Amino acid sequence: MDAPVKPKPVPVVNPWARPFWEGTKQGKLLYQKCKDCGTNVFYPRIACISCFSDNLEWVESSGKGTVYTYTVVKSNSPTAFLPDLPYVIAIVKLEEDGVQMLSNIVGCDPDEVRCDMPVEVTFEKLNDEFVLPKFKPFRS
Amino acid sequence: MSELRGKIAVVGIGEVPTGRYPDTGTIFHAIESAKQAIRDAGINKEEIDYVMPTAALYSPAFNTELVTCRVAEELGLKNVSKNCQVFAGGSSSTCGLELAGSLINSKAASTVLFVHADRLGTGVDLQAGIDLFATSGISAEWEVPFGQHYSAIAAMATTRYKYETGTTDEQLASVCVSNRKWAELNPNAFFRKPLTIDEVLSSKMLSTPLHAKMSNMLFDGGAAFIVTSAERARDITDKPVYLLGEGGTVTHFVYSQERDVSRFGWAKAGRKAFAEAGLTPKDIDIAEIYDSYPIFQIIGFEELGFCERGQAGEIFLRGDTWPGGKIPTTTNGGMLSQGHTGAGGAVALLVESFRQLMGKAGERQVPGARFAVETATGGTYMDAQVTILGTEIPS
Repeated sequence: MDAPVKPKPVPVVNPWARPFWEGTKQGKLLYQKCKDCGTNVFYPRIACISCFSDNLEWVESSGKGTVYTYTVVKSNSPTAFLPDLPYVIAIVKLEEDGVQMLSNIVGCDPDEVRCDMPVEVTFEKLNDEFVLPKFKPFRS
Repeated sequence: MSELRGKIAVVGIGEVPTGRYPDTGTIFHAIESAKQAIRDAGINKEEIDYVMPTAALYSPAFNTELVTCRVAEELGLKNVSKNCQVFAGGSSSTCGLELAGSLINSKAASTVLFVHADRLGTGVDLQAGIDLFATSGISAEWEVPFGQHYSAIAAMATTRYKYETGTTDEQLASVCVSNRKWAELNPNAFFRKPLTIDEVLSSKMLSTPLHAKMSNMLFDGGAAFIVTSAERARDITDKPVYLLGEGGTVTHFVYSQERDVSRFGWAKAGRKAFAEAGLTPKDIDIAEIYDSYPIFQIIGFEELGFCERGQAGEIFLRGDTWPGGKIPTTTNGGMLSQGHTGAGGAVALLVESFRQLMGKAGERQVPGARFAVETATGGTYMDAQVTILGTEIPS
């Protein structure tokens, strides 16, 4: 098991998404909101996905949401993730309408994850440049 | 609605058996398939004036050969005016047929050779294959950093679908069994030994609830077909296969932005295709539904209207989709049993639709098949493409 570990892939950042990644470094989960039509936009875009306006602002998500769907990866993952097996990949729907994202569920036994389970964001340092938003069970 | 209904037809098909061919030049899979298609059509090769290769994924260098007219030259085609690649990932079959048809219907082309070849079985090793598919078509900013890959994508669709419908693992596994029963009768399929539900469910867990035998495997292969006008087709053969309807929906690039991973865009695409064809699911003799993983075959089957939502698992389990069943489905064995060849997974399904309607499917021929539906989807199930074909043009 001493084979060299392939480094984790880092996000290939689009210039207009930089505020999102700056946000995660400060413990904030940011998304865009259209100042003209009010549509929530995630992932970051160059124009509103509804009315096509350029008038987008960054707002902070509550970080709370639910697991829309998930899987516990047990084997045959991409090479860089083999040391992490088993790990959970999930689509999380945030409280803010229309905002959903892929992430990992951490902070619990992978087999405890369920659809529609409440979760909240937690931030994990990937390296000096990146902090990834992950989610853990929300216990009120 | 498109103007293609009944205007164009497929007159010839070719295919090499899906497999592992470490010592065979990949171009062979393309030109052997094309040769078979030309001979199957019974036309003079010089009738082909347009070569439409789709893309190969295993090697940019080989793909460049497809783009730079190697197929035309290898076959000695002398009247080709254009060689132009058409690529839409797993939807290349459907998109290629529609584009070829449009060129023919507009008189920009008269006879189009569509061809696919790839070498994902021996051209890349297993872990490299996983890594290739962990990144191709998966967002490098929003998904790759979280360990996303294709098994996980299929698993997440399966999880949500099971949660909403109560479908069981046994029912999911029955899709693999149904496809295998067809593959047992298909000399071009890689996996031909009988398969049981227990074998599927006792195979290694990849990403819950997806077992290894619920996953397609990558192989080498190739297939081709020839498209011409309906008018010319009737001169060539007494069994032309007409394009009757096409419907498509593009839903996402980033998988986690899909709003409903237990449905996708199939219902809308299906309604459009059936409306164009003037048919309903009840008229269909064969459903060639894109599989790659059981969940996508179940979703496609249901959303196209072959049964109510949540019922497909039971239908696959009880054998309605098997050889001799009420609605023969994915009759080449699909990517789960014939094997996945990249863009060729759906090309093989489309070629199988033509083969069945031409009455050339040998042991697995569905007797008297008149109408077939074929589906295709690319990337991370980014789109839903539906094609309806027939041996006649319904009035």
